[in-house]
Amino acid sequence: MEAAQPAAPPRRTIHQRLLGDHPSAWGFVFPAVVIIVGLAIVPIVWSLLLSFRAADLIGPSKWVGLSNYDALLDDDAFRSALGHTVVYTALFVPLSIAGGLLIAMALNRRIRFIGIYRTLILAPFIASVAAQGVLFSFIFDERFGVANSLLDEAGLPRQGFLGDPDQALYVLVGIGLWGGIGFPVVIYLAALQDVPRELVDAASVDGARRWAILRHVILPQLLPVTIFLAVWQTLLSLQLFDLVYATTRGGPLDATVVVVYYVYNQAFELFHAGYAAAVAYVVAVFLMLMVGAQLIYNRLRTRRA
Amino acid sequence: MTARRLPFSPWHLVLAPTAIVFALPLAWMLLSSFMSNAQINQFPPTIIPDSLHVVGWDHVLTQASFPRWFANSTIVSLVCVVSNLIFCSLAGYAFARLRFRGSTILFLLILATLVIPFQLTMIPTFIVMEKLNLTDTLGALIVPGLATPLGVFLMRQFFMNLPREVEEAARIDGCSRLGVLLHVALPLARPALATLAALTFLLMWNDLLWPLIAINSDDNYTLPLGLTTFQGQHTTDWAAVMAGNVVTVTPVLLAFLFAQRTFIQSLTSSAVKG
Amino acid sequence: MKRIPTVLALVAVSIGLIACSDDKDDSGSGGGTVEIKFWHGQTQGPAKLLQDMVDEFNRTHPNIKVSKDFGGVNSDRMLQKVTAGLQAGSYPDVAYIYGSDLANLAKSDKLVDLTDKKADIDWDKFFPAAQQAATVDDRVRAFPALIDNLAVVYNKKIFDDAGEPYPKDDWTWDDFRAAAAKLNDSDKGIAGFAWPGTGDEDTTWRYWPLLWQQGGDILAEDGESVGFDTPEGEAALQQIADMAGDGSIYIDNTAGSERMQQLFTSGKMAMQIAGPWALPEYVDGKIDYGVAPLPSFGGEHTTIAGPDTWAIFDNGEAKSEAAIEFVSWLTAPKQQIRWLSEAGSLPTRTDMADLPSYPDYEASLPDLDKFVDNLELARIRPTVAEYPQISQAIGKAVASVLQGKSSPADALSDAADAANSELSVPGG
Repeated sequence: MEAAQPAAPPRRTIHQRLLGDHPSAWGFVFPAVVIIVGLAIVPIVWSLLLSFRAADLIGPSKWVGLSNYDALLDDDAFRSALGHTVVYTALFVPLSIAGGLLIAMALNRRIRFIGIYRTLILAPFIASVAAQGVLFSFIFDERFGVANSLLDEAGLPRQGFLGDPDQALYVLVGIGLWGGIGFPVVIYLAALQDVPRELVDAASVDGARRWAILRHVILPQLLPVTIFLAVWQTLLSLQLFDLVYATTRGGPLDATVVVVYYVYNQAFELFHAGYAAAVAYVVAVFLMLMVGAQLIYNRLRTRRA
Repeated sequence: MTARRLPFSPWHLVLAPTAIVFALPLAWMLLSSFMSNAQINQFPPTIIPDSLHVVGWDHVLTQASFPRWFANSTIVSLVCVVSNLIFCSLAGYAFARLRFRGSTILFLLILATLVIPFQLTMIPTFIVMEKLNLTDTLGALIVPGLATPLGVFLMRQFFMNLPREVEEAARIDGCSRLGVLLHVALPLARPALATLAALTFLLMWNDLLWPLIAINSDDNYTLPLGLTTFQGQHTTDWAAVMAGNVVTVTPVLLAFLFAQRTFIQSLTSSAVKG
Repeated sequence: MKRIPTVLALVAVSIGLIACSDDKDDSGSGGGTVEIKFWHGQTQGPAKLLQDMVDEFNRTHPNIKVSKDFGGVNSDRMLQKVTAGLQAGSYPDVAYIYGSDLANLAKSDKLVDLTDKKADIDWDKFFPAAQQAATVDDRVRAFPALIDNLAVVYNKKIFDDAGEPYPKDDWTWDDFRAAAAKLNDSDKGIAGFAWPGTGDEDTTWRYWPLLWQQGGDILAEDGESVGFDTPEGEAALQQIADMAGDGSIYIDNTAGSERMQQLFTSGKMAMQIAGPWALPEYVDGKIDYGVAPLPSFGGEHTTIAGPDTWAIFDNGEAKSEAAIEFVSWLTAPKQQIRWLSEAGSLPTRTDMADLPSYPDYEASLPDLDKFVDNLELARIRPTVAEYPQISQAIGKAVASVLQGKSSPADALSDAADAANSELSVPGG
């Protein structure tokens, strides 16, 4: 084997000229792409076409061009749904990431029972959303729930929780966090394993305190994963549906109608599938732009580095 | 840095209560599964069963099709875990390390599959499955799950984070791209792979809405779908539902318990070896 | 690169094996037998009964086989699944469809029109309310499957403990209100009565009897606009607002309105506006209950019935004929009597009372006969495609009034605006 000697760059083959530096890469991505994109092409196109029709998915439909999108602009219910979704997202994402990191760091140690602690703390994440719905509608029941009994004991006023239009959305954020924080915990736990010990060791040998190690060594290492989580959690919370369906069904008084619930309601309860598709598409396009912009920004940042 | 080997770490004081709070609802679910329906229907709900009723467990476990439902869920989930581990590692590595024409477009396309709500996409997906003659078979559940966007993104994320030096050393040694992936990158990505396996298992195991649309016959039900037969238009067999929930949660709990064993800080930390 | 094809092949083979391992019953398993798919949407007791009945039918009708494909879906998701099936060209032959969904489903030409077969299916024997529920635009589009109605079920013990006399059959809403206020006891955790607050059909359909009793109507004469934005509609809603304002109400915000059922079954509610389906659970909970018709405003004790249907889909003439034969058999008195008790339904046909076992049915649950008698006073919701919008509009109005967030007049006018904009749009 030759010692490190500046090798001349290999001549590019036809394959490489056509397909970029690594034509074999297509072989790598092929199976996943066939499954994911292959199966998704039909739904993506179908939904787009549906959004240009007045359709109920049962009887004959007719082409209406952009009038569904037109109607969207004036739809107050849609705007509220959007508003609720944004509120939920703005609260859920930062809290789940910060909380997830804290819990992951607490779980990232070798003490007895750590396996049990990790599993138990992940338990809500593993239970189905339907089960969570049943559970929390018991806990937060206005007259008979445990939550209000505790408030009574503490001498505080009883709350409406899921029955109060002004509180319900925030209660859902709480339930969502309880059930969903497991995901960032799991991701951060795995990421913390990859923080090179040498860096941590070197810093503490240098006399840095725990807090400084955290700020200057560990957190920067976790930055890429944090960005990934921010994007993923945002995508998730913008798609919130199951929890609403299992608890409030959009109530009380539409206070918890989020965008995907609005789509479901329009398509399957009010028989306005075309309109529902238009709503879904508007949100989808916006999401893509947002994530796409974030990706491009990332690319530029790492290119410069 | 010495590993802490105090007989009693102060962390227990933080972790134990937290673990209890998080696990309490599942404990309640477990306890409820040992109540009679009359007791469960009591409102406000009670926590301790008045005696050990096994009616819920009886209904679930002696349900003739229960073993079949359990087996179906297991097959679907395990096959998808294996396929995701393979396909998503390959794709994730390519997106992370290999520059190729169309990588950005493909990546964005995969992302695009996540932004349209399932409520809409399930109908055209069902149409596709119907054309492939897969409806009412396990194939309809497995095929869409063979690779998931989350899997691709996760693996890409982790491969991007690996230091390049070891891979480049291997390339210089004459290793093929695939060889680098198999012999260098994957061994370092064990926590990520364990995470991927557990998350994929969870996703496929708990899925209800797609099997509900795609499966018609009792023989092909997955566990969550089979358990909906204990809920009626007006009455619900709550004891059975609770027992069913316990049965549903247990395998995934075990999967996560198993996966997190790989999270023990590995001895091979940094990648650059002399 | 060598390993990948092998691995892929292994995965593909296992998928193939699994996918092909389950029999896919295609049409007909042998000369002359027509196979049909019956998606009954039922679970537990009713499902078991139907499966037994299917076995019996298959034995006694050698030319028709009802397959084991029962749909894999409960009635509350049936419409969604049937819709997917219609889009994909793969749908059942018989499905359990809620009455309120039938008008929209009728837009599909795959829903068999039974009007010309009325004589063959004993159409005249069905109760008028059942007939109306299965009729859209004067065409018969389904068989009646189940019928019920709303009455007041009251907890005798709570009444006795408070020294309150039981409701009389001719009682008024004021009597109801007074009783609720008297029996509501927050310290003991007892609610006077309940109302669903989610704003869906459960919230709405309890309002219609009050509207009808006041002399109002859901739709205007011409069917082009709503009929409830009238003084009658307002008076009806005002009654609900007043009762809610007394503090004797429990507003059930759970999906499916299960909470109020559980409360009554636990002896924590004095009166419950419910249907016959609720009785078995009360018996299980050992509640000593009585049934009274809905109160009135001094006039008729009009109530509401919420019938469901067996819809038949067109998969070719042989299968439709077979499906019609099957459902005729299923709804015939001899079979229906078995279905009634299990499903918590009331008789859909007038000739049920002729059966020798009929008195046993009426005696099977305490006061079940009161629900049967109530059928005479029951009206049903209009079978129009826009009903879901009307339902949501009124549901919101009632929920809003229950929460005290708006006055009946405002709530109704908002609801009328929302519903009218839907009614005025021709087509989908």
